[in-house]
Amino acid sequence: MSKFAWKVLRALFPFMVVGLAYEIFARSGFMKPVLAPSLLDVAATFERMVMSGELPRHAAATLLRMGIGFFLAAAAGILLGTLMARIRLVDRLLTPVVGIGLPIPGLAWVPLFVLWFGLGEKATILLVAFSATFPIIVNARMGVMAINPIWIRAARIMETPPSMLFWKVMLPGALPLILSGLRVGLARAWRAVIAGEMIAATSLGLGWAIFNAMEVLNTDVVIAVIIGIGITGYLVETLLFSMIERRYLVRWGMMRGTRE
Amino acid sequence: MAVPRSGAEPRWRSLVRSLLDTLIPLIILAAIWQGSVWIAGLPPKLFPPVEAIVERGFALAANGVLWMHVSATLARLLFGFLLAAVIGVVMGLAMGRSRRVEAFCLPLLSVLMPIPPLAWVPLFILWFGLGNMPTILLVAFAASVPIASTVWTGVRSVNEVWIRAAAIMGVEGREAFWKVVLPGSMPSVLSGLRLGMGRAWPAVVAGEMIAGTESGLGWMIFASREFLSTDVMFVGIGMVGLVGLFLERVVFQTLETRTLKRWGLVSEGAS
Repeated sequence: MSKFAWKVLRALFPFMVVGLAYEIFARSGFMKPVLAPSLLDVAATFERMVMSGELPRHAAATLLRMGIGFFLAAAAGILLGTLMARIRLVDRLLTPVVGIGLPIPGLAWVPLFVLWFGLGEKATILLVAFSATFPIIVNARMGVMAINPIWIRAARIMETPPSMLFWKVMLPGALPLILSGLRVGLARAWRAVIAGEMIAATSLGLGWAIFNAMEVLNTDVVIAVIIGIGITGYLVETLLFSMIERRYLVRWGMMRGTRE
Repeated sequence: MAVPRSGAEPRWRSLVRSLLDTLIPLIILAAIWQGSVWIAGLPPKLFPPVEAIVERGFALAANGVLWMHVSATLARLLFGFLLAAVIGVVMGLAMGRSRRVEAFCLPLLSVLMPIPPLAWVPLFILWFGLGNMPTILLVAFAASVPIASTVWTGVRSVNEVWIRAAAIMGVEGREAFWKVVLPGSMPSVLSGLRLGMGRAWPAVVAGEMIAGTESGLGWMIFASREFLSTDVMFVGIGMVGLVGLFLERVVFQTLETRTLKRWGLVSEGAS
């Protein structure tokens, strides 16, 4: 029991030090209390926002936007990547486009999307899709190219129709790389959805909540939402991806429990 | 179709070929854009024709406005990135060499990891006001976490044999750190810096959009929305892509080939 308590204490120690440092900073009067609220106030605000359902509501809106955008990105990215790997003309056409699109941060497009589609859902979702698509394309292309050609030839000999070739040979064969592309894409989508909500959202979402709280100087809300973002992000990353990896890759023997 | 690019082909021809390989698809893309705008009858104010974008690009480049924004962005990037490099490398090295520092920093890093750095900007704005400071801090924040974690793994993977060999020859403690561990972890420092730059570049553009810096590429794109200058937006977006590509391809790749190959630390095929 005391050993367990010691373990917990050791795990919490870094946070206690940082929290204490912040608390001293907050109470030193260096910043106005409105701008640097005590951690106790932040905790109270966090609890109130969770209990009233406000924070979960924001998180749900954010996750919904991210989910739709990410789904679009995954569908488009896997399809385009596969086409690029299999059809030379498509590859030659799209390679420079991907090369140029990859280094442009998705956020740079948002003002344009806002002008085209107005403030609101479309601009944010498009941003998410846009940010996540490029790494997925690149990885899907590599994955399909890396498939053992014997598998494809074998399937051809057995007169597999193209759609079955895609679903039964290419997709499973390329899955490890596709998944790592999806993982990069998801990380990008997560950053993008918060950014997009800051600029383009109109009423709900974690990014919007932060920005809105800033404008009315509710620093405690800002910090509480940042904590909410951290928790949501952690859940998305671990729950979704560890689950998928365990389910498919390890079971199919394509990966031995290692990461990345 | 599959032309082997062997040494038999003169250098300039392969250069021209790769240039054409890049340009032709882009021209086709531009044509598709222009064609679909015409056919759909979309308002040119919102969907500017290619020639308007190019024209505006040259005009902005000629009167110096574009360069003013680019240099403002690069200055912020440089400040933030230097800050991140120092913090990240020091932290990574310390974490890799000392159990205690590792036990202290690792939980903090793993808590920071899932929070998009941009989420901190409103807090930075509240604390430091609009302007350069939040953007620079955002860049530093965004870049230092990947730098620290890459350097940390790199230091731990320094070949144990080297350290033991050095110890046998009487090089230990501080000297071993400077002579063995630090040079040995240089590849991971470089790849960490590269990764950090990959994060820093979107961050600086994002920061400029949100933190009201009144100059810089991000601000240029964001501010054009009020005047419906979509052509300026496209110029800005294109410039963001070009500079980002330049930083990644030219700056870092040259740095890597110059240093790592000379040190004999990369074998063929390693990125």
